[in-house]
Amino acid sequence: MRPSFLLRKEFGNLAVIRGTVKYHLSPLEQRAFAGAISQGVPNIFWRFRQSFFYVVPPMLLSYLVYYTAEMEHDRLQRKQPGQFDHEK
Amino acid sequence: MYKASRFSPLASVIRHTVITLPTPVNISTWWNFGSLLGVCLATQIFSGLVLSLHFTAHTDLSFYVVIQSFGDVYYNWWFRALHANGASFFFIGLYLHIARGMYYGSYVFKEVWSVGVVILLLVMASAFLGYVLPWGQMSFWGATVITSLFSALPIIGSDVVIWLWGGFSVDNATLTRFFGLHFLLPFTVAGLAGLHLFFLHDQGSSNPLGVSSDFNKVVFHHYYVLKDLVGACFFVGPLLGLVYFYPWLLGDPENFIEGNPLVTPHHIQPEWYFLFAYAILRAVPNKLGGVVALAAAVLILFYMPFSPKTSIKGLSFYPWGKVLFFSLIGVFILLTWAGSKPVEEPYVVVSQVLSFLYFFYFLLIGPLTRIQDKLL
Repeated sequence: MRPSFLLRKEFGNLAVIRGTVKYHLSPLEQRAFAGAISQGVPNIFWRFRQSFFYVVPPMLLSYLVYYTAEMEHDRLQRKQPGQFDHEK
Repeated sequence: MYKASRFSPLASVIRHTVITLPTPVNISTWWNFGSLLGVCLATQIFSGLVLSLHFTAHTDLSFYVVIQSFGDVYYNWWFRALHANGASFFFIGLYLHIARGMYYGSYVFKEVWSVGVVILLLVMASAFLGYVLPWGQMSFWGATVITSLFSALPIIGSDVVIWLWGGFSVDNATLTRFFGLHFLLPFTVAGLAGLHLFFLHDQGSSNPLGVSSDFNKVVFHHYYVLKDLVGACFFVGPLLGLVYFYPWLLGDPENFIEGNPLVTPHHIQPEWYFLFAYAILRAVPNKLGGVVALAAAVLILFYMPFSPKTSIKGLSFYPWGKVLFFSLIGVFILLTWAGSKPVEEPYVVVSQVLSFLYFFYFLLIGPLTRIQDKLL
């Protein structure tokens, strides 16, 4: 029995493609982890370089805000010059 | 399973959901968090069920029953550590799952996104209710602070709070109803998670490129069953590391003191996953304003499906959008830090600026991406 609400995006009901010939090997006819290290590891470094200037500057700025706020809080916790001059 | 699914509706649903489900070939690790959240929910329900067998919801007993069960009930210490740290990992998964959704434009699936935000709200409610149950100092005072926020509602505020408390303060009536609700809500979440998947499978998963993948899909089993299993190992590993070696790393030492209505802790603060909202709440000098800002901090997610549409789904091909997104991540982390700080300078001003920047992202991201669309 096939409930009708399941007649949605299933294989055979996905996309219509014309004028395209697609070749592929069966997964059972190829090595599962081909190139996992020889191409996969350099890819890690490539992906890191591609995203570096999008991720690192905002994170650096955030760290600067955190560091400055903590330094300022420590400064305000200490006695300030002239704080107790009125008691002289 | 194939033969059975021809006759059994349940087997048919399982087959179409996790076996023959058409899945894009190129979904990345960011797509693992959906299944990881399912693992978290199952873990929390199971460990919570075990803990509930030995729990008594009474102000005179809860604190001591929880402590005593560590020594007397076999492995209860393990289940408690798993449940407490499992909640933290649940929120790690939730926030990363939402971040994926915001970055890759998954919010265009309006029904999936809306159900997801409701799930987030219910999980937050459930976590808040559960934290009250051990009846430590932070349990009691956290419950007092958050339930008192409802008194900011005009006209009906004070009556609503008394109704919520079941009395004139957080007391036994509050604890017993919180236990009942904390037990009930996860099952509601489980039902909504099913609905979330139902709506998702109507269109199929999106992918990092933001384009249709209908012409290039593979079956879910074995590819993504294995990928989700690997993801689960990487997720559960650190969770068990915390459970066995640092069970109280994310906890508050104040909660090892029995809840006392006559002694207010110096620094009342929620668990880390609520700190960003706590910072936004405290940033607004007005009580009602703070409550509105707190609610808006989460409810603004409902706005995402109605934000201006971009030519390409997601932020992968919008450089300034990406910078703004990672700035939002930085703002979120800073808000979490600010929420843990006392109400002193310069933390007050920093919280206020960060709260403004948090909401400003949602205003700015639409126009920023449309400018790029027009330029190209």
